[in-house]
Amino acid sequence: MLIYKLLKGICSLIENLRVNKGTKKMKLLMYITITVLMSINTAYAGDIIGTVKATGTKDSGNAIIFLEKVEGKTFSPPAEHAVMNQKNLTFIPHVLPVVVGTTVDFQNSDDVLHNVFTPDKCADNFNLGTWPKGQIRSFTFKNPGCRPVLLCKVHPEMEGYVVVLETPYFAVSNKDGSYSIKNVPPGTYTISIWHEKLKGASVKITVPGTGSVTQDFEIKK
Amino acid sequence: MKSTFSFVLSILLLTGLSLIVEETQAIPSFARKYKTSCSTCHYAFPKLNAFGKAFKNNGYRYPAGQDPEMTKEEPVSLGADAYKKVWPNAIWPSDIPGTEPIAINAIGRFHYDNAVNNSKSGYFEIPSVFDFFYGGTLGDKISYFGEVELTNTADVEYQFAVNYDFAPGFHLKVGKIGLEDATPDHLTLTATDYNVGSLQNQSGTWQLTDGAGGGMQLWGAVNGPGGKGGLTYSVGIGNGQSDVTNFDLNKKKDVYGRVTYKIGGLGETGGTEGQASNQSAFYIDNSLRFGGFAYSGTAISDSTTDKFSVVGGDIDWWFQRLNLTALVMQMKSKYLGKDRTSLAYFIEGNYVIYPWLIGRARYEYTDTDIHDNSNQVANNILPGIVVMLRANVRLSLEYLKPLDKSRKADDSLIFQFNFAF
Repeated sequence: MLIYKLLKGICSLIENLRVNKGTKKMKLLMYITITVLMSINTAYAGDIIGTVKATGTKDSGNAIIFLEKVEGKTFSPPAEHAVMNQKNLTFIPHVLPVVVGTTVDFQNSDDVLHNVFTPDKCADNFNLGTWPKGQIRSFTFKNPGCRPVLLCKVHPEMEGYVVVLETPYFAVSNKDGSYSIKNVPPGTYTISIWHEKLKGASVKITVPGTGSVTQDFEIKK
Repeated sequence: MKSTFSFVLSILLLTGLSLIVEETQAIPSFARKYKTSCSTCHYAFPKLNAFGKAFKNNGYRYPAGQDPEMTKEEPVSLGADAYKKVWPNAIWPSDIPGTEPIAINAIGRFHYDNAVNNSKSGYFEIPSVFDFFYGGTLGDKISYFGEVELTNTADVEYQFAVNYDFAPGFHLKVGKIGLEDATPDHLTLTATDYNVGSLQNQSGTWQLTDGAGGGMQLWGAVNGPGGKGGLTYSVGIGNGQSDVTNFDLNKKKDVYGRVTYKIGGLGETGGTEGQASNQSAFYIDNSLRFGGFAYSGTAISDSTTDKFSVVGGDIDWWFQRLNLTALVMQMKSKYLGKDRTSLAYFIEGNYVIYPWLIGRARYEYTDTDIHDNSNQVANNILPGIVVMLRANVRLSLEYLKPLDKSRKADDSLIFQFNFAF
């Protein structure tokens, strides 16, 4: 991130240079340097791809695959709120991974009353009450490792999950089980999988500086 | 579901409970249609919560035109919607439910009273009754609701009504009609019927729960200011006293009307306007509802006319976990040259201890002839408890205690089991 900001600043500086014979050469040289540096920077991020095979559920979707930690680094939550919608008597998305500290907006998009609460202590047993269609109530998830279930006291069949993580390196598996986590700094990490009904798992993984590494999971009850 | 069924069967075998009849409107076919829990519409089935009433007031549809998107069981089209443009050169398009909208409610009871040989004993009714319900919508303007009740005494009772739903504020109902909302025996959580519903005219040929038989009813509901509460009304004309084949037994038609006004709470036709709150539960609807009703009818017994009328009022108060309902009714009956005035009322409280555990009590008073001091009044209290084993499995225990010394020995205990699927 630091390198990227540095390069961006240099590029801006170059563009502001007066164009004359001397600066033209210098500009060209600097662009080449930047291109090389950029290449080096790009080389320091790899992807994690794989497939989840879930046994005991309708499909292999809605598993969350994530890096437990990146040693020596903490990640700030995004300024933009995450959104969990309530539409047609369902939570959308069904599972929502967020970085610790993220505020989630719960929106009622139905013309019926909805409620959001959780019985889980790690999310303070919050109960957001009831609110009209189109309006939002929010909650900030502060405890890493918390996976609170979200329920509606008006419609007992509704169920959703927020999964609070320590890194922004996560993915939600598709119905066919495929997933990918992009732009992971090279290194060795613990990668884990979480599913609302199936047993999770953790393995060590080494992410290369270039290309991708494949990590498949098989999960069951 | 399988484990629930096994558990229920075990209970039945252990206790030897019978399945017995009770009017009810628990319709799991709606739960299937919308893929939603019974408690979306029911406080504890069959008693409706505020949303259940709004759903009914919309002609068994979701409020605010949301029904198509809320319907998760795809209906079968009986014509593309665009055929509306072709009319009258085509049949107006409609649809039918994707699966047969039938639901079953089985009810079992164990009694402990002095009904057998006038001495206290416990007894079962096995096997007894299944209620088959069918309810749903046909397109966006027609809805229907009916019931076939099969009893262990080989009785078959049935009713059916079709609504043309112009708007939530205006429906035309044709079929079995009556003041069922005023005396909701079919919505009570007790095995014992409401006294007001079973109060009969002098000839014993009519009671409020019989309704007006076959006929027509205009009815509707509108929300109050700010989307809260609101007005409901119904006026109807029907055969009144009918025989088992639904033929009118007298030339006179019965007429009735009812109006209610609800202050606060969910709008009578639903929606979310004005519904912001810091709490929420399917059994909470802080509101106060007043109602009034009148019925005028004619019945015949042994070629003698029994001209009768009913007026009454009711209150339905919901506050947090508490629901208090009270109804008072006066009946006048002119038969064999005698004018008789009867009075009946009840007050009932339900308290949600947990969403699956409800404590309840009812006090009821019935005086069949208020001008006859020698007439015996019925003066009862009915404490009880309701346990929702699952959203569709209900157990209840109730005790009827007569408060009159002369009827002291008529106390009774009823354990009831309801299973809807």
